[in-house]
Amino acid sequence: MRLFVTAARFQLRHLAGSPAAVQVCVTAPLLTVVFLSISDYAGRTDLSPYAVVAPTLMSLWLLALHAAGELITEERDLGTLEGLIAAPARLGTVVMGRMCAVTAIGVVSFAESWLAAGLVFGRWLAFPHPLVVVACLLATVWAAAGTASILSPLFVLMPSARVIQNTLSYPFYLLGGVLVPVTFLPGWVQPVSRAVFLSWSADLLRDGLDPAPVTDAVARLAVILALGSAGCAIGLMLLRRVLNRVRRLGTLAQA
Amino acid sequence: MTDRATAVETRSLTRSYGTGRRGGSEVYALRGVDLSVGQGEVHGLLGPNGAGKTTLCRILSTILLPTSGTARIMGRDVVRDADAVKRCIGIVFGGDRGLYGRLTVGDNLRFWAALYGLRGTGLRRRCQALLERMGLAHRADDRVDTLSRGMKQRLHLARGLVADPPLLILDEPTVGMDPVAAQDFRVLVDGLRADGRTILLTTHDMAEAEAVCDRVSLVDHGRIIATRAPAGIGALISRYERIEARGVPAEVAAALPDIPGVVTVRAAAGERLRIETEDTSATRAVLRRLVAEDVTEVATSRPTLEEVYLHLIGERGMTVER
Repeated sequence: MRLFVTAARFQLRHLAGSPAAVQVCVTAPLLTVVFLSISDYAGRTDLSPYAVVAPTLMSLWLLALHAAGELITEERDLGTLEGLIAAPARLGTVVMGRMCAVTAIGVVSFAESWLAAGLVFGRWLAFPHPLVVVACLLATVWAAAGTASILSPLFVLMPSARVIQNTLSYPFYLLGGVLVPVTFLPGWVQPVSRAVFLSWSADLLRDGLDPAPVTDAVARLAVILALGSAGCAIGLMLLRRVLNRVRRLGTLAQA
Repeated sequence: MTDRATAVETRSLTRSYGTGRRGGSEVYALRGVDLSVGQGEVHGLLGPNGAGKTTLCRILSTILLPTSGTARIMGRDVVRDADAVKRCIGIVFGGDRGLYGRLTVGDNLRFWAALYGLRGTGLRRRCQALLERMGLAHRADDRVDTLSRGMKQRLHLARGLVADPPLLILDEPTVGMDPVAAQDFRVLVDGLRADGRTILLTTHDMAEAEAVCDRVSLVDHGRIIATRAPAGIGALISRYERIEARGVPAEVAAALPDIPGVVTVRAAAGERLRIETEDTSATRAVLRRLVAEDVTEVATSRPTLEEVYLHLIGERGMTVER
């Protein structure tokens, strides 16, 4: 756990002022403004929570994808990847600590979106279930990092990670019910959506902002954590295998 | 080998790569390398670029797997017991890369220390002590990007020492340094020798090898050609001398190879003739002959390390794949 925390703190210092973090922090409130404008035009002010939840989850997933892709690529560019692999620390723990740190920056966008809704449209969303909201955000950070970690090993093998990064953003937003609730998607897509952690996160986060009681909050949190943990387990297994492969082929340092 | 316990031992160590072409033959970076380095020894791997030095370091660092053969560090196999080997070694790669430029010197060192299992007060003390030893304490809060090449290399060295490893692998540590910084770095390495640490140092700089190494292995085309004390390598070099002359009559040039001790006579740039001899008496004989023929534009010099290699390994050229 110490190594995890050390890696996370290191990553936060390393990331300070990075373009990706700045981009997310700038775009999240703007997206909130766009979504609220549309819902206002349609006369659906009841959709205000969607306008805060969607940019938050989009930010989290975007940062997780960024971390998964850039972390390995950047280490390679800096020439530090070999040193990391030669160190006795478990690389998987280091990678997850750093990915969680990057993804956690996305939580800032929740506050920004909430503020944008209040300041621009005067819609100050209440927090009837603050514990659910906070727990859901933290679980989502873990799940986003865990799921994105599956991609990290691919980026060891591939010289360019950005194509995958760009490809996997919007499909996940749609499948995860971030922009449109899963129940509005075609019936055959819905089972697939339920395998995507974002669908559970989006529903629970929206319920957490709704005055109505939240049903099965613990179980739903557990599903988010379980999906993230499964992704993490697969990601770390793939990372071990890929590293063995590049050690065998001698392609570790090749960009 | 000395009677010291062995720190590094390789047997028939081979590493090859596929060419990536269908039906293409394997390219060998190491070919059956046998190497023994005693504990407390400073051992140099001397060879031109592409000779296989870095490949050997990478295998010993567990970053790369050998194709065949074995390598042991402090008695532990680098493949089967990689985790234990990682705790025994510190690695210092040469060049500007390998550090987090946007972070401070202290942040870099503390991160690497954490990766080697240091925590809390022990970590802080160790990092502070290393920064002081490397002369970087006053730059601890500065970004690595702002350091000079020599300072970055000292930080590399601090990183390699952070876990207090018994074996330090220095891969071209002074490459790209100015002479003063390189000399400072060698003084630091000399201090590490006094600690009793085993050091494996790769370089293509003969002077560097002579300055810091107990023994030197000449590496070329993935093979170890010879392992000797630096003075022995110096003797290999001094066996050969080189004379360059301009305006040598053709009949004189044709007669020079007949002088005992003349190894080669060949045309060089600028209408010069380059004569290589294997001892001083041959050099004297050639000079006497040239002066007798009124050839006065004459210079003698020692061959470069690369030229000594050519003598040692024949005319296969200096380029080694990978």
